Amino acid sequence: MSDFAAVEVDGLVKDFKGSIRGKRVRAVDGVSLRIEPGEVYGLIGPNGSGKSTTMKAVLGLLKPTGGRCAVFGRDSSKVDSRSEVGFLPEAPYFYRHLSGRETVNFFGKLCGMRGRVLRDRVDDLLELVGLWEARDRRLRGYSKGMLQRVGLAQALVQDPSLVVLDEPTAGVDPAGSREIRDLIFGLKERGKTVFLCSHLLEQVQEVCDRVGIISGGRLVNEGSLDELLAVENEVELVLRDAPPELLEQIGALVRVTHGAEMVSAGRARTTLEGVFLRETGGES
Amino acid sequence: MSQSLFFSPRKMWVIAGSTVTQLVRMKVFYFLIPIALLFIGLQFVDGFWFNGPDMLLPEQELRAHKSWCLGTMMVFSSLFAIVATALLIPGDVEDRTLYSILCKPVPRLDYLVGKLLGVVVVIGVAVLVMDLLLVLTLHFRAEAKLAEMIELMKVMKVGPEEAEVVKRELAEHGSTWNLQAGVLAHFLRACVIAAVALLISTFSNSTIFTIATSVMVWVIGSFQSIARDGIFRSQEMGEELTWADRVLGTLISVVFPDFQLYEAVADGAARAQEIVMGDVGKLLGLTGLYVGIYVVISWFVFSDKEL
Repeated sequence: MSDFAAVEVDGLVKDFKGSIRGKRVRAVDGVSLRIEPGEVYGLIGPNGSGKSTTMKAVLGLLKPTGGRCAVFGRDSSKVDSRSEVGFLPEAPYFYRHLSGRETVNFFGKLCGMRGRVLRDRVDDLLELVGLWEARDRRLRGYSKGMLQRVGLAQALVQDPSLVVLDEPTAGVDPAGSREIRDLIFGLKERGKTVFLCSHLLEQVQEVCDRVGIISGGRLVNEGSLDELLAVENEVELVLRDAPPELLEQIGALVRVTHGAEMVSAGRARTTLEGVFLRETGGES
Repeated sequence: MSQSLFFSPRKMWVIAGSTVTQLVRMKVFYFLIPIALLFIGLQFVDGFWFNGPDMLLPEQELRAHKSWCLGTMMVFSSLFAIVATALLIPGDVEDRTLYSILCKPVPRLDYLVGKLLGVVVVIGVAVLVMDLLLVLTLHFRAEAKLAEMIELMKVMKVGPEEAEVVKRELAEHGSTWNLQAGVLAHFLRACVIAAVALLISTFSNSTIFTIATSVMVWVIGSFQSIARDGIFRSQEMGEELTWADRVLGTLISVVFPDFQLYEAVADGAARAQEIVMGDVGKLLGLTGLYVGIYVVISWFVFSDKEL
């Protein structure tokens, strides 16, 4: 399995029938990307840019108009390509008449699991996503965040090698969001591949090894975070407990150095999420 | 962990089991309450109400009881088959539960057959309960009629041989295996209708459209033999059939299921006619053929459906 890329999208083109008769709309236009096993890859882009269409093609829910998608070397249109994939959809789409435990159990059975192995796995996952107390409640009584958690549990039920997450923290509070982020780190530590779609750029920046930016159906930029984020001719210096004299000396040194310019200086800032978690007693 | 095959019976049963749970939790079996009341109520309806002021013979009364009950079973099982199937698949597409299911290694055929199996199991349970009610109410009614007849024959001083014939005739109109063949015919018809609704729901995105079209197919399927007989009769009487009549007739015969045999078996059961096992076999074969054809077409349509 390791000889193949976890996900390989090669020249993906997808056209949809438009509302005007005969006119077709191109949602994805020649996207190619490769996600290596064990990598956390983030696909970002504005609404309608082709993220979800690309994701659906990888999951075999859509037939490409052109190009191909493969998961661990297996064509995405083939059912067996999905045996190593766990998918968390953006909005939780599950049977509301089932309880949390029944839901995870149902998806486990669809993956061919059964018996004690399945029971233990379901219990472990419900514990992991923090739904143990609510395990026997029907999903219609779950909040959006709880549905997202049960979605995560079902995505992981067969211990897949590739986890596809579409907006994993949508509707989840900051503490839950952090838990999901930690879970992604945990998956990465265990050698799992994560393919993530998110609007939360900060989150993508924090967890992803590589990022692809998609716009107008085309992959307009792709690379490792270091490559994408580095500003070639600028250096950032963060100091702790620096006295004003030291800052003055550094400023003076910059001023006398030909061609160098201090662009900004000020107090380092935390994130709003950091403040929120500190004030509400969440894990920091 | 099992690798996916062309299809997997176990996954079909998983989906069927979930469908049964879904329907049970939707409290669909509540519709059996008015049916139970109807069946019990029929017990107390005198033959007078069935056929005007002329009193019916006891066996005619029992036949009317069976006809009402079997007719009710047919209507409810068929409507249930349509509504349940039409609610489930378009419902899964509309609320996108289908995404989550098909993202697992589940062949689309397994999903379709699983859904159909689930509906068929629930119809089977519902028909079984209705059957039990029919057998019980018919038994009590037949016993009461027999007691009445014995009293009457005593008064009329009817000879033992003649009395035995009357008893036997009355027993033939009670709960017999022939009656079960009629119940089976209605169950099998409901299975075919569920398969039709399954096919329609694979290309329709609306529950209402699926229900309306399935009801239309059901009605046409129930009456197409009458229309066909009419055409043949016209032909026998020397009337020239137009080209349009021929095309329309052929198209209807090919596209719509023909429920004539189902009707004949159920009608025979109500009339206490002996049902030939060959007819039951034909019924099973025909049902298998219809369901098989509709499932295969559904699969072709559904396998190309983009979500």
